[in-house]
Amino acid sequence: MDIIESKTWVEWVITIAKFGFCFVPVLYILLLIPMERRGAGFMQDRQGPNRSYIKVPFFGKVRLFGYVQNMCDGTKLFFKEMFAPKGSKKFLYYVAPAIPFAIVFLSPCVIPWFGPMVFEWGDKVVRIAGPILDSEVGILLLFGFSSLSAYGAVLAGLSSRSKYSYLGSLRTTAMTISYEVCQGLSMMGLLVLAGSFSLTDIVSWQEHHVWGIVAQPVAFFCFLIATIAETGRAPFDVAEGEPELVAGYHTEYGAMQFGLFYMGEYSHICISSLLVATLFLGGYSVPFVTTETIQTHMGGSLAILCWVLAFFALAFLHMIYRYSRKLRASAQANKMEILQEYKLYKGVAWIATLVLIGAGVASWLYYNPEYSMVNGVVVNSLGAALGTALIHLLVLLVKSVFFCWVWIWVRWTLPRFRYDHIMHLGWKIILNIAILNLVVTAVVAKLMGGN
Amino acid sequence: MARVIRQRPMNWVERLYIFEAIRGLWTTLKHAARGLFRYEELPTISYPEGQPEVRRTYRAKHRLMLRADGTPRCVACGMCAAACPAHCIYIEATASDDPRIEKKVKRFDIDHLTCVFCGLCVEACPVDALRMDTKEIIFEHRTRDEFVANLQTLTSWNPKDYPDDAQSQVAPGGTKNAEARKVWGMEVKN
Repeated sequence: MDIIESKTWVEWVITIAKFGFCFVPVLYILLLIPMERRGAGFMQDRQGPNRSYIKVPFFGKVRLFGYVQNMCDGTKLFFKEMFAPKGSKKFLYYVAPAIPFAIVFLSPCVIPWFGPMVFEWGDKVVRIAGPILDSEVGILLLFGFSSLSAYGAVLAGLSSRSKYSYLGSLRTTAMTISYEVCQGLSMMGLLVLAGSFSLTDIVSWQEHHVWGIVAQPVAFFCFLIATIAETGRAPFDVAEGEPELVAGYHTEYGAMQFGLFYMGEYSHICISSLLVATLFLGGYSVPFVTTETIQTHMGGSLAILCWVLAFFALAFLHMIYRYSRKLRASAQANKMEILQEYKLYKGVAWIATLVLIGAGVASWLYYNPEYSMVNGVVVNSLGAALGTALIHLLVLLVKSVFFCWVWIWVRWTLPRFRYDHIMHLGWKIILNIAILNLVVTAVVAKLMGGN
Repeated sequence: MARVIRQRPMNWVERLYIFEAIRGLWTTLKHAARGLFRYEELPTISYPEGQPEVRRTYRAKHRLMLRADGTPRCVACGMCAAACPAHCIYIEATASDDPRIEKKVKRFDIDHLTCVFCGLCVEACPVDALRMDTKEIIFEHRTRDEFVANLQTLTSWNPKDYPDDAQSQVAPGGTKNAEARKVWGMEVKN
């Protein structure tokens, strides 16, 4: 009872609502799969998957820019038969794909999604931390979770009784372990500067000094490469190298078991990109603007946010109109169908534009909540605190989506490294650079009189 | 003659890999940006609805040229069948009704499942009866027999599809048909 009464009900509601952030990686999967497939298409001058459609009464065949194709593929995976090869260890075989996917729900708990919410409730000042679990050792916890996902690959390889899977899982293990060392060491320089293992502290340090990418550019590159290697994607995807290992550790898996591995890989990308954004790109902090400025000019900040979104909607409309014009002039047989479909997108985008501009103007003119300063921290109403949290969350998502794009971009550009090259790069190059960077950072930090 | 291509040794910037990797990333970024922001400029054609542009000189499905009276120009000499490397042309000759012409074709089959579209039959034809300029590049049928083009399908083309070709306009329905009939020595009906 004491625990319940120690917080007001609003605090409890928000604290519980924060658990919703556990599902962010799942949403990212929904975003990343089309992004990867169409992005790969565009890089190779293809159009990417865009044929499947849903029939909608007035608009005809609505394809949602190829998104329907992914829904179809997911449905197919769901309804395929699950089977285990003869002689496989059934329990481990079925548990293995669930491990990387289950980690997904644990990992987001330490990432600060927004700056600490401070607001007045009744006569109390309520403070709510950004992450679900505001741990002192947040980043270590995150590394622990992300290492656990290697168990999925290991168990899959061991239990499926296939030489390809076995070799694939051996490679995964070796690579994950060696690159985790690089990852941890390259990040240490930043921890020395921030003086804390807590991700919230690291972000607030970046907010008040400089972004990690400016303070530690070398560490940023080492960390990025090590993280890409740890997710096991190209150019580091020797673990599932098609030319020699069929599909690596998930050779024997089909249906949704394969789907879980697939989604586990994407959610690993999501967590890694969130981590990179948090550590090196200032996390939730808005560039060039402090949180205090946002909170003291809440209406204006929300207005700018709305207008930026309206600008994107207008740019989208511009592209749609230009493409429709070109299509109408072409001899394509189904152009009237496509133009009918585009009416839907045009309508939605126009409505979004008008609503966003209107909302921007309204918040600019009429939304100026009162605030007070307590110990240098802005304290205002619940609404303004939620608005700040929303802006922070969007900024963090934009940054991490950019890094997700980097993952896809690198995958479709660089050829696969040979296995010994990967080990050479990890142990002899990145590790040494990371150690050197750590030493230099520590010495400079000491001389400059930091912590 | 064997030709030795000497590869330039990589300099130290290239051997560092990272800068070359960034250069490669820039290339793919340009392509991705084009796909995203200028989707209409992608070279890909969404195939069954949008058709590729085929030139007249492209070796497509065959056709048999027609005389002014509508009979095939083919004199059943068998040169095309002899020239065919895939042996896909089968010709049966018969006596012609016209006293000026010795033979005419009774049966002219081209098996498009066997045809390699080399165009040697067109080159071999002494009377310019066989051409491959129909621009038809889609061959889709239910049975194997339907892939064999016979005399009827080979001669059923429309002179309006070949407006620039004077030889095609000689055929019935063409602009030069009446003139050609006069030269050929036939009564012009209607």
